[in-house]
Amino acid sequence: MAVAGRSKWGLIWPFFVLLLFHSLAIYTFTRGFLLTRTELASFSHCSDLTNSPCSLAIYNPPPDETAQDRGCWTRPAVDRVVIIVLDALRFDFVAPSTFFKDKQPWMDKLRVLQKLASEEGFSARIFKAIADPPTTSLQRLKGLTTGGLPTFIDVGNSFGAPAIVEDNLIHQLVSNGKRVLMMGDDTWVQLFPDHFNTSYPYPSFNVKDLDTVDNGVIEHLLPSLHRKDWDVLIAHFLGVDHAGHIFGVDSSQMIQKLEQYNSILEEVVNVLKNQSGEGGLHENTFLIVMGDHGQTTNGDHGGGTAEEVETSLFAMSFQSPPASISSVFDSSFCHGDLDGQRLCISTFEQLDFAVTISALLGLPSPFGSIGRVNAELYALNARTWEGQATSASDCQLLSDLAAWKQNYVNALCINCWQVKRYIDLYSATSVIGLPSEDLHHVAQLYSQAQTKWPDTASSSCSRVGSPDNILDSLESSLQQQIDAYSEFLVSVAKLARSAWTEFDLLYMGLGFSCMLFSLVIHLLVIRRLSTLCQSYNNSLGIFDNYFSLVSAFLLVAIRAASFLSNSYILTEGSVASFLLSTTAIIRLWCSISKWKFPRDELLFLLLSTIIRHGIDTGMSKETSGSSFLFNFSKLIFHINEGGPFLMVLTDVLPMVLLSVLAFMLYRFLSGISCWIHFKYVLFIGTVCSYMLIGLHWISESNLMHISMRVQYTGRNLAPRVVYAIGFGLLLLSVLCQLFDNNRVQPTERLKVSALALLSSWSSTILILLGRQGPFAILIFIVAAWCIVRSWREQWTESNSRNMGVLIMNPIPVIQWSLLAVCLFFFTGHWCAFDGLRYGAAFIGFDHFNIIRQGLLLTIDTFGVSHILPILGIPLIIILQLQNSKKNVSEDNIFLNLTQAFLIYGLITATTTTFMIICVFIQRRHLMVWGLFAPKYVFDAVGLLLTDGLIFMASLYYY
Amino acid sequence: MTALGFVKLRMRCHRERRKEGVGMGDGDIAASTAIALHFLCALGLGAGYSLAQLKHHLSLVADPAQTLRFLLVVQGPVVIGIYSSVRRDREHCSYWKAVARGLFGLPVGAVLNAFGAIVLGAPVGIKYWPSTIYWSSLMSLFTFVPALCVFGLSKMDWQRILAHSIPKEIVDCVVSLPAQGAILGAWLGAWPMPLDWEKPWQEWPICVTYGAVAGYLFGMLISVVFVHVLRGQTHVKAE
Repeated sequence: MAVAGRSKWGLIWPFFVLLLFHSLAIYTFTRGFLLTRTELASFSHCSDLTNSPCSLAIYNPPPDETAQDRGCWTRPAVDRVVIIVLDALRFDFVAPSTFFKDKQPWMDKLRVLQKLASEEGFSARIFKAIADPPTTSLQRLKGLTTGGLPTFIDVGNSFGAPAIVEDNLIHQLVSNGKRVLMMGDDTWVQLFPDHFNTSYPYPSFNVKDLDTVDNGVIEHLLPSLHRKDWDVLIAHFLGVDHAGHIFGVDSSQMIQKLEQYNSILEEVVNVLKNQSGEGGLHENTFLIVMGDHGQTTNGDHGGGTAEEVETSLFAMSFQSPPASISSVFDSSFCHGDLDGQRLCISTFEQLDFAVTISALLGLPSPFGSIGRVNAELYALNARTWEGQATSASDCQLLSDLAAWKQNYVNALCINCWQVKRYIDLYSATSVIGLPSEDLHHVAQLYSQAQTKWPDTASSSCSRVGSPDNILDSLESSLQQQIDAYSEFLVSVAKLARSAWTEFDLLYMGLGFSCMLFSLVIHLLVIRRLSTLCQSYNNSLGIFDNYFSLVSAFLLVAIRAASFLSNSYILTEGSVASFLLSTTAIIRLWCSISKWKFPRDELLFLLLSTIIRHGIDTGMSKETSGSSFLFNFSKLIFHINEGGPFLMVLTDVLPMVLLSVLAFMLYRFLSGISCWIHFKYVLFIGTVCSYMLIGLHWISESNLMHISMRVQYTGRNLAPRVVYAIGFGLLLLSVLCQLFDNNRVQPTERLKVSALALLSSWSSTILILLGRQGPFAILIFIVAAWCIVRSWREQWTESNSRNMGVLIMNPIPVIQWSLLAVCLFFFTGHWCAFDGLRYGAAFIGFDHFNIIRQGLLLTIDTFGVSHILPILGIPLIIILQLQNSKKNVSEDNIFLNLTQAFLIYGLITATTTTFMIICVFIQRRHLMVWGLFAPKYVFDAVGLLLTDGLIFMASLYYY
Repeated sequence: MTALGFVKLRMRCHRERRKEGVGMGDGDIAASTAIALHFLCALGLGAGYSLAQLKHHLSLVADPAQTLRFLLVVQGPVVIGIYSSVRRDREHCSYWKAVARGLFGLPVGAVLNAFGAIVLGAPVGIKYWPSTIYWSSLMSLFTFVPALCVFGLSKMDWQRILAHSIPKEIVDCVVSLPAQGAILGAWLGAWPMPLDWEKPWQEWPICVTYGAVAGYLFGMLISVVFVHVLRGQTHVKAE
């Protein structure tokens, strides 16, 4: 078509240019911002120890020891380790409820651990383990095994976990001849593809499945404990994580899972105990039960809040350490347990896990580990050195405590040397490295500690005097040495935490300037179109209505600036609905001041109230989506779960709403006189998919008892057919649009093509959203209707002449975009990776395929917030054309449509620009990985998707 | 008097006034009256707040519902009493009728304000009900009641008040500027609520009340300035 002598490409190319600019900006900024820590390809070896200053004569191995017994860096304290990982184990799952203010139903379910910790105070202990964000399983496993701080970019690989290339605990185990047995979560196999002697991996991705992984582990765990063919056993249970994701922490499923674990752990401990006698299979076995991260009460994790980073670790050795060691244990956090016995809980950094396990097994610690050998875990196995105290230092008989301390100092010395070696190599090889001041400070601490070392090491032999004096002075000098090393290691960890993410400021700056430049282009294009419109119609352009321009600017600015604070990002949905309601109230005010009955405005306000409550309650998850209805009805009617009314509400109401949607489509279509044949195909196709969606829901619910065959069809076949019909309709409408040259009724044509596009997408989005889908889409349609209707006065006023003229007003477009944001949160999404509704990716499919499931997940995430609103932008134009009876020229319609698209794009681009500024400013913020970075990724993807969709839509509509 | 009867009476009042051709400017008030009115309203609010704090040891942060109720009890008579005395159609509506209008308007305005607050995100749980009711009644005193006391149900006046953001008469200033200030202040006062400072005053409706009161007082200040400007204009006209 031609607008004022321009071809349709004249209107489309700005979209393409903007898409290009935005992609460039996002790419450059992301390269600078989401840089990974440089992974060093160096590995630790046994022979490295000769380079360390710690090879002093403190420990002369007796000649009869073999190399295997001796270990290579430290003296091995344990022979075998059983590591049981319970995914998403909250701290309060393990710690007794007496440690907390209120007793919650999920507490005190793992009684066996509490009992062991209180009864066997020196050999079993509960720790509060602190994970580093990002608290996703993959990152945590990587962090636990490498002893480093995995960075955020890996989160992007969560779909298909890549193998770890850095030096890690598992690699050290394998290369030093330890046999590793793995069972459970298949992420381990993805991370360590050829490290395990034997492995029993089970698929972890389907979150709806609570039992497959756990049952698999249970099947193999106990028999394996009786076998000799492993040195390290790793069992990873996933049920608690999945139960949290699907049902939340406060649910009967969660409690069942915990009780199941309790009985399994009881059996494991029994087996180990029974065989822990002299010469037994588990004489020197160390049991660790740990979580990889915590979870919020909604079952989410990924961020850096206390609930998510606080997990627990239970460690137990089956040989009691001597009583004098007890002074090592921290007794600052003690309470009586349920039986009134005193129980102390210490704190453990997950960063320290790799190096502590390496030290206990006598292995070299991973090259990139920056953790510290944990004193308390080390002390749990102290008994082993008892008999060797004399051999450790030939000259004197040492007390248990002093002997232990000497060993610990030795381990710490090697630990410090290894960390220093890594820090030195890292700052020498990586481009930006660490801040030189901090490096200097750390180096100073290290040299201070190491200069003391020879004194301490030699003092144990050379002192003369009464034995008691020597012992006291020895102990205190050892303690000083431990403190000096600890100070160094703690400051390294602090340095690494504060400065690890290596931001490339140049790239970030370039990306940001590119983004700013694109904003300028955006404004220029809108300006140009506005003047074009003006000259063409002799009417006012966008830039002439100052009031709406200023309020539009204010609205976008407030929303964009709200991203500068983490609290507003957390409550983004409420902020958006606050702004949306504000615009609605202003419209209501305007309408009343004209003394008209504000029907549409009141309806819109009512809808905003519903949306607002949906956003408030949408954060707590329920099964298969219908969270809003469920919570709302619980709130309003105080009905019990499982009552017949609720069943009707959650099962029948979505169907009724679905038929309302079909009826609405029928009404819209019936008024259209072009594309007659296609119209029927569209209607029949959409109704068919709606019926299939209904079938799918019936087969998922327990409303009726139906045969397995029908159930299978409903579960898997129906969704696939729905996807196929949607795709077919989409193709068909594109073809129709291509071959239809009817220029007579531009409005009709635009209307039918928009309807075709929306209804072909709607069925897929509906089935992915689950039962809340029809409700959300109905709200979208009615709210869209209200937005347009409430502005009709404005339109008709400006259409006073014979030939109607449309004038673009930015406010409805802003309302449109705010509505889209609200719907994103309303449908139970939020801007975090755990906010993705993974369950949706498995509707219609049982098995995981990265492209297929990724596509479904994208459609679910962005469907109702990006795809439908953007493709529906023409509705703003069409609906108001329906209200005015006058004819409007095609050029005018398309100029306005282009402006609407541009304004919508500008709003998204502005908010993303602010997100970029915010991420830039907050890049050292505590929550940068937990909150800002995921939000940035969502915004960036959203922007590119918006640009792409607008570009495609313009190709389609023009 | 039933509400319906009251409305009918008002309409009659209004019609009569129209018939006699009472012009717009006739109901206007003197600048000094306007300033005194603002002063008294601010005084009432201040007195109410300090009385609550000193005599009953009530603070807005600790017990918002009781404090708001106390403020309402003190400020209600002040606002209704003062604004009724500057009612528009003094010949046909007695002082007590204006007072009755104000009393009638209090719950109506409260419902409107509560609805607005809930739409914008105020919590709806049962434990918030008392404070929401008292807060919206106080907002009603700031916004709806003065207008009803002064204008009654005159369509023309209401339309003028709602449509024109810049008032042209002193009485419009006195009614609309503090009201607009209170609404804007309450709107802005909601902003700190989501922040994670974990201060007790971030609870609903404490900071919104602070915002509303601050906006109300600021609106009065602006109103005083406007009154001065308008008086200058009328003086020029008169000369």
